[in-house]
Amino acid sequence: MAILDVQHIEKHFGGTQVLRDISFSLEEGQALSIIGSSGSGKTTLLRCLNFLETPDKGVISVRGETLFDAEDTRRPSEAEIRQRRLHFGLVFQSFNLFPQYTALQNVTLARELMAKENRESRDAILQEGRELLGRMGLADRAEHYPHQLSGGQQQRVAIARALALKPDILCFDEPTSALDPELTGEVLKVIRSLAEQKTTMIIVTHEMAFARDVADQVIFMDGGVIVEQGPAREVIDHPKEERTQHFLSRFAQQ
Amino acid sequence: MFWTVTLSILQGCGEAAKLFFLTLLFALPLGLVVAFGSMNKWAPFRFLLRGKSAPGGTLRALAAFRPISALTNLIVWVIRGTPLILQLIIIFYGPGMWFKANPWNAFSDGRMFACTLAFVINYACYFSVIYRGGIEGVPAGQREAGQVLGLTRSQIFFQVTLLQMVKRIVPPMSNEVITLVKDTSLARVIAITEITKAGEAFMKSAGITWPLFYTAVFYLAFVGILTILFYFIERKLSYFR
Repeated sequence: MAILDVQHIEKHFGGTQVLRDISFSLEEGQALSIIGSSGSGKTTLLRCLNFLETPDKGVISVRGETLFDAEDTRRPSEAEIRQRRLHFGLVFQSFNLFPQYTALQNVTLARELMAKENRESRDAILQEGRELLGRMGLADRAEHYPHQLSGGQQQRVAIARALALKPDILCFDEPTSALDPELTGEVLKVIRSLAEQKTTMIIVTHEMAFARDVADQVIFMDGGVIVEQGPAREVIDHPKEERTQHFLSRFAQQ
Repeated sequence: MFWTVTLSILQGCGEAAKLFFLTLLFALPLGLVVAFGSMNKWAPFRFLLRGKSAPGGTLRALAAFRPISALTNLIVWVIRGTPLILQLIIIFYGPGMWFKANPWNAFSDGRMFACTLAFVINYACYFSVIYRGGIEGVPAGQREAGQVLGLTRSQIFFQVTLLQMVKRIVPPMSNEVITLVKDTSLARVIAITEITKAGEAFMKSAGITWPLFYTAVFYLAFVGILTILFYFIERKLSYFR
């Protein structure tokens, strides 16, 4: 059974339709890459999955449990929305680390606040936070504040912060677009290693070569619809749709 | 003479300090409430737009109407748009003129009570605008990062937004607090003997003007201490950006 199932998602902002009949599913341990030009609705789709936007239509379910159904008129409580959000992690384009906290505190903050409810030991949380930073190659940066870190380091802290909550599905919203070209490599390397460890991921990216190598599935979006989806290599190397071919040819020229 | 003047001005300092600290004590939290009021998004007529594809101008204006925010902004406009000295006079003398009995006399220190009330309302409105700037200045991404980490609204405010907001509002707050020191001199209009009135009294009674300059020393010392205090707060918060 698919870990994530998205059915017929639609989203309007005022009079503009941003997402139109978006349906796809994702198997556990797979990486899905969403590609497409700016304004194609990729980011909005990720924001819908993380409940930062509410879709106008459609159903989102994780492991068979319906998390969102636009038909359901009952308004979920804030606590319910928070519970649902925890199925997903999100790594932002602009990192959004909390500037007043050290790298380690950024990673452990949410867990420590939740520990008040589930009585998790603080030492265990800190220990796990350090291990996560270690996996990101940042063991020696735990006590640094975000402004003391490079963009690539900040983004890796942000990945550790998302992983700390052990989400079912980790989402990346153009994780390297705000980085200098020489810093993208270190972030992509971390995401690649997560893929090798079979982390279920959805990656919105403009890095075509990366998507082709790392993702199992690729979705190409244009104008708020899914134009083409399939195995990564197939879609990127041999696109069937004309719009996908056109989009990819522009990348090949660069 | 010097000691007489000093003693008299020090008594004025006591009144001014009382007004200053009481105003801060109540206006700082009240300002936050006013700030949240002005940012309130409650729009009871929003439902009018439901199912309408091309709503008319009047309907759209009604649907966008936010009563709490509008009322708060109206109050802030009136309070910021009129002199504090006028508000002082109205609050202290108004009730007595309208109801034939001055309710402030019910308190042992009725003048100071009325004066503090006027100052708290006035300063809360100014503070609210500073707070709003501070809250809106924190990038939306900070709140969203808190949301996707499953934090509650109050956790997001207290653990994520608040300190970043405090850092942003320290410079404009220092301006406002320094103004408050000097605004305490307005209390004389309802016969509270604060620093300036205490100094000026000697001009009338003894025909000397040097106490006026002497009062300036007290204001400068007061403001000097505040300036140093704000410098330390800013430095304390400089560990992050």
